This record gives sequence, C-alpha cells and structure tokens, in this order.
Amino acid sequence: MEASFFNIHRAYSIARKEVMHILRDPFTLALTLGLPVMLVTFFGYAIDFEVRNVKLAVSDRDQGPAARRLKEVFSASGYFSVIQPVSASGPAGMLDSGGAYAALFIEPDFSRKIKGGAAAQAQLVLDGSDNSKAAAVMGYLPGIQRAAAGKLGLQAAGEPFFAETRFLYNPELNSRWFTVPGLAAIIIGLLAILLTALTVAREWENGSMELLLSTPVRPLEIIAGKLAPYGALVLAGVFFVYLVSRLVFGVPFAGSLPLYLAACLLFVTAALSQGLLISVITRQQQVAMQLGMITGLLPSMLLSGFIFPVESMPKFFQYLTMLLPPRWFMAAARGITLKGADLGELAIPFLVLGLLSAVMLALALKKFKTDLEP
Amino acid sequence: MKAAPALEVKGLSIKFGDFTAVDKVSFSVNRGEIFGFLGANGAGKTTTIRMLCGLLEPTSGSALVGGLGFEDGGLGIKKIVGYMSQKFTLYNDLTVGENLEFAAGLRKLDPAYAVRRRKELFALIEFTRPLSTVVASLPGGIKQELALAAAMLHDPEIIFLDEPTSGVAPASRARFWTLIRRITGLGKTVIVTTHYMDEAEQCGRIALMRTGRLIALGSPEELKSAAFPGPMAELNFNGREASDFISGLQNAAGLLELSPHGMRWHAAFSGKAAMGAALAGLPPYVSVSLVKPSLEDVFIRLVEGTER
Repeated sequence: MEASFFNIHRAYSIARKEVMHILRDPFTLALTLGLPVMLVTFFGYAIDFEVRNVKLAVSDRDQGPAARRLKEVFSASGYFSVIQPVSASGPAGMLDSGGAYAALFIEPDFSRKIKGGAAAQAQLVLDGSDNSKAAAVMGYLPGIQRAAAGKLGLQAAGEPFFAETRFLYNPELNSRWFTVPGLAAIIIGLLAILLTALTVAREWENGSMELLLSTPVRPLEIIAGKLAPYGALVLAGVFFVYLVSRLVFGVPFAGSLPLYLAACLLFVTAALSQGLLISVITRQQQVAMQLGMITGLLPSMLLSGFIFPVESMPKFFQYLTMLLPPRWFMAAARGITLKGADLGELAIPFLVLGLLSAVMLALALKKFKTDLEP
Repeated sequence: MKAAPALEVKGLSIKFGDFTAVDKVSFSVNRGEIFGFLGANGAGKTTTIRMLCGLLEPTSGSALVGGLGFEDGGLGIKKIVGYMSQKFTLYNDLTVGENLEFAAGLRKLDPAYAVRRRKELFALIEFTRPLSTVVASLPGGIKQELALAAAMLHDPEIIFLDEPTSGVAPASRARFWTLIRRITGLGKTVIVTTHYMDEAEQCGRIALMRTGRLIALGSPEELKSAAFPGPMAELNFNGREASDFISGLQNAAGLLELSPHGMRWHAAFSGKAAMGAALAGLPPYVSVSLVKPSLEDVFIRLVEGTER
C-alpha cells in the first residue's frame, strides 16, 4: 500500500519526458535561451529614459569669458548640444518652433559681475511639454551647476542656480541600470508563464493528460515534473540575461549573487505557477497563449513599477499591484543589483512572492483534481 | 478466486451538474472475456470506461474492478488496469523506446522487468522496428498496437480500450482484433468500446448503451434472437417504386422492424404467420429472401424502439 501523494520517481519520469520534448524541439530551446538575451539587448538600447544631445539655444548678451565658460560646461556635459539662435525671434521662438528644447539666457553683465564677485544671473528655460523628458533634463542640472561653479571659480554653495539634489545608488541616473534588471523580470516572467501554459495545455488538448491520469501518477507529480525542466530552462535564461546586463550594459551588481538567484527562483516559480493555473483553466494552447501574453505582459509592463512608479499610481492600482509577482520581483531585483539590499530588507517581497506562488499552485492543483471531465 | 468476475458493476451512475452521463448501469464481466460497449457518440460508453479505470468517481452505485472499489479515489484500480484512450496514443515527437520508458516510469516499473515486458509485448504485437524509431513516422495501425503494448507494460489483468481502432485502415483493424483475441487467450479481460458493427460481432458479449443507459446486454446471438424472435425478410425492389408498398407495410400486424439497407429493405416480424400475411400483396417484381438479422438491425431496433 502506497499512501504517499508524491513520488519523486514518477515526477522524474515526467520531467525526463519533458526534457526530451524540449530537446526534440530546438525552436523552443532556442526561444527560451536566446529570446531573453535578444530582447534585453534590444530593449535595453531602445527603452532609454535618458535624454542626450538636448538642443540648447543660447542667448548670450554678455559675450564675455565667463559666459563662454558657462556654455562650455553645458556642451561638455554630453547632455546638451549648444546651438546659436539663428531665427530672428531668438531662443524663445526656437523653443516654440521645436528648434530647441532648452534655452539659456545669459545677462549682459554676466562676466563683469562674476569677476566682481556680485550675483550673476543666467536663466535656463525648458520645454515642459514632455514632462518625463523635462524631468530627466532637470536631473542633470545639479551636476552641471556644480561643474559650472568650479569652472567659474565660485563656491558651489554660494551659487544657487538650482536646488541641490543628489541621486543615490545610480548617481549618473543611468536609466539602463534601472531598465535592464526590470526588463529581465518582464521577459523571464512572460517566458515562464507562456512555456508552462503551453506545455500543460498541450497535454490536455491532445488527450495525453487523460492517459497520464489513468496511471497511478498523482497531479502533484505531473505538475512538479512539468515545471522543473522549464524552471531550469528559464533560470538558464536568467543567467544569460545577467551576463548581458553586466557585460553589455555594465549594470553594476551591488548585492549578493545567491540572494539574487533566490529572488529569481522565487519569481520564476511564481511565473510558472501562473502559467500552470492558466493552462489548467483554459486547457487549450491557443487560449492559454493569449491569456499568458495578456496576464504576463501587460501588468508587468504597466503595473509592476517598471515604467510608472507604483507610489504615483491611484490607490486602487497600488493595491492591485500587490497581487502581481513582477512588482515584488522588480523591487527585489533592483534592490539587490543597485542597492545591495540584504534579505532582511527584502523580506516582504520574498514573502509575498512565495505566498503568491503557493496560492496559485494550490488553485491549479485544486482545479486539476476536481475537473477531470471535459 | 478464479470464479470471481473481473468487473462487478451495480447501479453505477455519474452526474455532471444536472446532466446524467451514465444512469444506473449494472453488469458483470468474467475473466478472459471480450466485453464490448456499443453505442452512438455521447451514449456514455467512454464515461463508463473512465469510471471503471479509476479516472472518474461515480456519483452513486458501486463497481468492483478486479475486486477493488473506489475507496482510495481509484488509485488501486489504476494500478491493476491498462487503459488506451481514443484521443491519444503515443507522443509523436518521442521514439518508441522513449514512449515505453515513460510508460514504465509512470508506473515505477523495475527497469529490467520493463525491458522483459517490452520484449514479450513486441513479440505479441510482432513489432520488429528499432526502438529509436520516432513515433510520428509510424503508420496509424502500428502506432495503435504500440499504444496497446504501452498500456500493457505493467501486465494488467484488465485492459480497457476506448475505440482503439477509430481512424485506422480496415486491414489494421482486423489485425488489432487478432491481437485482442490473443490477449484474452492469455487470460486477460478486455473491455472495448466501438461503433463498428463488425467489431461488435467479435465481442463475447455486448452492452448496448443509449443516453447513459444500458439498453441491452448479451452475446451477439442472444441480442439478435431477443430483438428478433421471428423471421426477417429482405425485400429487393430491384430498382422499382417501393414507397407505396413500404408505407402500407409499416402498419402491418406483427411487424417488428422495417428499415432500409441500401437499395433493400429489412422487415422483421413476430412470427411466420404475420410475415405471410403482411407480404401477401407484394408486387411480383419484388424478390424476397430470409436473412439473419445483423447487429446493425438489433441496434436500429433497440435504439429506435426506445425513441418511439
């Protein structure tokens, strides 16, 4: 009499069969290993919140040495390219026409006042119509201010061009450092959801699930055997994405690698469970694929904090995001890679990821058991 | 022990919501028997078989499969029966060897034992191709035979075959039935569903199902004589007008069954006297011969009889 509800040998048989399926289908294999790297590289370059070569129209009514040095500071920063106003309407007109994005006005006595130690004024006007771009440019200003103060021989504190802001963890506000770990989360999550949803739905669709269930194999063994190979495959994808982030994008890695791996493992488990739940509910590859795409991609893109910070969402959406594994992994991944956060600081994301996985697995298992008949 | 039936089913029912898929079915099957389920799609054959394999738990009634019930959720039953579903046989992208290894792994068979069984079964089904053959490249009939071997790898006493020959060429169907007889010759019990009448004729006993109910049970001969106690005439109108006479015949006393068979009509009567009276006014161009009723006639009579 065998009372156990889980037998490792049977789960292993299922896993081994799944590996054979994967090996027979080089397309899936290539897709799983290659796609995340490809997408991270592709999007890593394309999704760039950084703004470079902002066209800066300068109205220099001083024409003195200090004004020239100030212009040099802007152009040397790499963020601005200084253009002389060519239109008759001056810098303001160029802002209106879109010929320039920012305008710098230097007052007539700028050089003389600097030399005399008096308060000199220069005004920077930004096109605020694209607020994320304006915010990015604003972010560069403190650095430029500091550079200008040095160049002009002033004490930094004594020259209140702009409010003092310091960016922690990502001092250059390099948006790729921020984007790439998040992207990895989205792509790996999506892949894990899709692969599982498809593989389990396939067994339902072609009728082999019925045959599996006609043997003493238990649902939990089927689930474990099905998830394990895809989990390993997706983790291999995680590794490649890690390499690309480090080597191609130079994303710093401040935290502990084992902790990061644990976070990935938890997140992949959550995504696999989500895929499993989808496939158990839909039982059709087509529907499973669509549902996987929608539930895997949209929330993680829009609601995980990848693009829009969770804190600035309406209250309802803030609560909604708590049900989404990518939101928690996003927090954990960024915390570990950029901040070097430890397990104590990430206890909540870790716990919630584990809890979400457990709930989805339990639901899938329940549906699996109670719902054999078509 | 030998006398104990392989299957003992009493008042077995299953409901899905309000829908009663199988309604109080009772029968028993002896060891070594070929027991067939005959019925249209949706008659409840597959659902009955699924319950008897331990895949579905009955809503009410009882079933002992090889002496085991559903107390453990069908787990014990699953261990002692073999099941071949109509929808799926083997994984096409895997090789023959991999498929059989998988089947052995699911049942935790000892590897040496699995290899021995595989060789025995390959001899039984006369399979000689290499183990590394990818299933997708095999003809349908061979695939079906291999699926049977996979279902029998753990040497089950009772084997359930759910429309094992659907979509298979006629020659392969005949071959498959040779295999079934070979298996029962070894003392195994085979329960098979079909909607082919010629296959049903080969069963030791047939259970006729309709809308979840068992409407007749017996050997093919028993079913025929029970449904048609009197003679059956085959009327051949030789291509001439039949409808006038047929519509008259429909109201004849003692007519049990009147059904078209291609260009001919089969008319069954309760007795010889009734037949003589009914066919008295037959036009001279109609040739009449006495035929033995086929299972198809039985099926039509029983199924349509309950519809009227």
